Amino acid sequence: MLKKLSTALLAGTIVLPAAGAFAADDYSGHTLVVGVWGGDIERLLRENVAEPIEEETGASVEFVLGGTGDRMARIYAEKDNPTMDVAFLNMYEAPQALSDGIVLPPDPESDMYKAIWDGMNNGCYAMSLVGLGIAYNKNIVPEAPEWEDMWDPEYNGMIAVAQYPGSEGDGLIGVAARLAGADEHDPDAAFEKLQGLKPIAMTYTNLDEVFAMMDVGEVAMAPMISGYVLSALKEHPDIGFSFPTEPGPVLVRDMLCLVKDSPEPELAKMFAEKALGVANQTDYAEQIFFGPTNSQVELSEEASADVIDTPEEVESLVQLDWPYVIEQRSDWTQRWNKELLEQ
Amino acid sequence: MNKRALMLLMPALILSGIVFLLPFLWLFVTSFRVQGEGSLLMAEGFSAANYARLVSDSYFAEVFFRTIWMSAAATLISLVIALPMARQIAVSAGRAKGLLLALILVPLVSGALLPTLGMLHLLGPLGVVNSILKDLGLITRSVKFLGTAPGVIIGLVQAFLPLMLLPLVNALSRLPKDVEAAAETLGAPTLIVWRRVILPLIAPGIIAGSVLVFCASLTSFVTPQILGQGKIATFGTMAYQQASLVLDWPFASTVAVVMLAILGLGLAIGSLAAKRLARRPA
Repeated sequence: MLKKLSTALLAGTIVLPAAGAFAADDYSGHTLVVGVWGGDIERLLRENVAEPIEEETGASVEFVLGGTGDRMARIYAEKDNPTMDVAFLNMYEAPQALSDGIVLPPDPESDMYKAIWDGMNNGCYAMSLVGLGIAYNKNIVPEAPEWEDMWDPEYNGMIAVAQYPGSEGDGLIGVAARLAGADEHDPDAAFEKLQGLKPIAMTYTNLDEVFAMMDVGEVAMAPMISGYVLSALKEHPDIGFSFPTEPGPVLVRDMLCLVKDSPEPELAKMFAEKALGVANQTDYAEQIFFGPTNSQVELSEEASADVIDTPEEVESLVQLDWPYVIEQRSDWTQRWNKELLEQ
Repeated sequence: MNKRALMLLMPALILSGIVFLLPFLWLFVTSFRVQGEGSLLMAEGFSAANYARLVSDSYFAEVFFRTIWMSAAATLISLVIALPMARQIAVSAGRAKGLLLALILVPLVSGALLPTLGMLHLLGPLGVVNSILKDLGLITRSVKFLGTAPGVIIGLVQAFLPLMLLPLVNALSRLPKDVEAAAETLGAPTLIVWRRVILPLIAPGIIAGSVLVFCASLTSFVTPQILGQGKIATFGTMAYQQASLVLDWPFASTVAVVMLAILGLGLAIGSLAAKRLARRPA
């Protein structure tokens, strides 16, 4: 009897931890909530990240699609009781969210942190690299334009801008300031220069809108972020994209943030590891022209030509003082509406 | 009201309190908060700084007046379009009336977004209106509707016309048919019959419809945002910009509180006018 009992106990000591280990990997019934932009980004994250996680863990991954403003509003409003686990933010929002205690600081000991180029994990994990350049109608603007060309009287009334506040608008303020011999710390110089773009042809909220206006010849140029435009160009043969040189394109970096005290921290970490991994970042670069932040990604020469994929290239781009820009946003929004859009 | 009736009403009153009054109260309190230095979170304490900002910059006054005149224009145009339509529906009989009323209700139940997106294709540079004008040889370059005040007003009229039509159909249906006939028998031309007989009698319907269209236009967000293309700032788009893009919720709350106050004022004026009309001897 004693022998039977001890055998049963021994079996129990072996089986229980094994069952425990199994339970730790089994996330059936769990849902990971990820806030991200829609379109090709969502498609790649679904194929390369969400589906493998669902297969491996039994959990389900729910994407909440929208702009960064929606996500920021949600994670701030839910600060004490978050329901979103992973949020993709812009490079200027990530440090703010970290200092407000909304997201977790990136873990310098983690493999994914170490794989990313030094100095890029600012606030959250750096996800992809793109630059603000100029999309233009090739029939109206014969050569790839420089920034100053947007001020050419020939194109007066034919410049479109994205809605402000946003990366594109902040970048344009930074460029205008530099063309006026200053930088973003002198907003008066920037806004005075911006006056020269009036009247603005349109304020766009999505690429389809502005491309339709470009196709009919009512918009000649618009400052745009490289990745989205380059991947959409194949459907618009008359539209080109220019990376200006004086000054260069403005660096824009997407960040992957793990929300503090979120319901599924382990699944969120798994998601981050796969999203920042070589396979997904390679697809990001090759399919949608978003430059990788993972130093282990090796791109073909052809793919490398269209994306920003090295720290040296990053150095050549205009980098704004984002904490300062964020501080000024409220005032600049008013000035943008009033002085540029003449509202 | 007796106690029993009050008891029966309690669940609805409590629900209304939680769903409607508490958020309003919260909005009002938030409008007196400010963001912390270098933070997007609200700081401790209360201040009237947001209200001071709102009155100290002429930009906000311009946005307020623009919203009000655009809402007034949308109300007036809706009234002019709705009067003959409502008259036609009111004099229709049986199935035709039911069908016409159902057609009025379709835009109301489909929400603001879908009809506005439809208008985008109608009024856009490649839209139906511009294409027809180009085909007819009347224009060579697209007429700009999008991103202009007239474009937004057209959208507001399209979105809120049913709110004007329904009270007018109701008022015109109740109009005794013999008063019109009597006026005509006495030699009054059609315009005089409308001005001196029909319009005074359906005035309560006109006021109700006007208040509904004006208030809906005043608070509208989707139509000015989409058809205005970010170039026509109104209360609604300004509150959205501050809340969702700038993430300055206290200031967005202040904009919303002022908007609600103007809304309340509009409703009060409408109600006062309706009461005066009701007291007026026939």
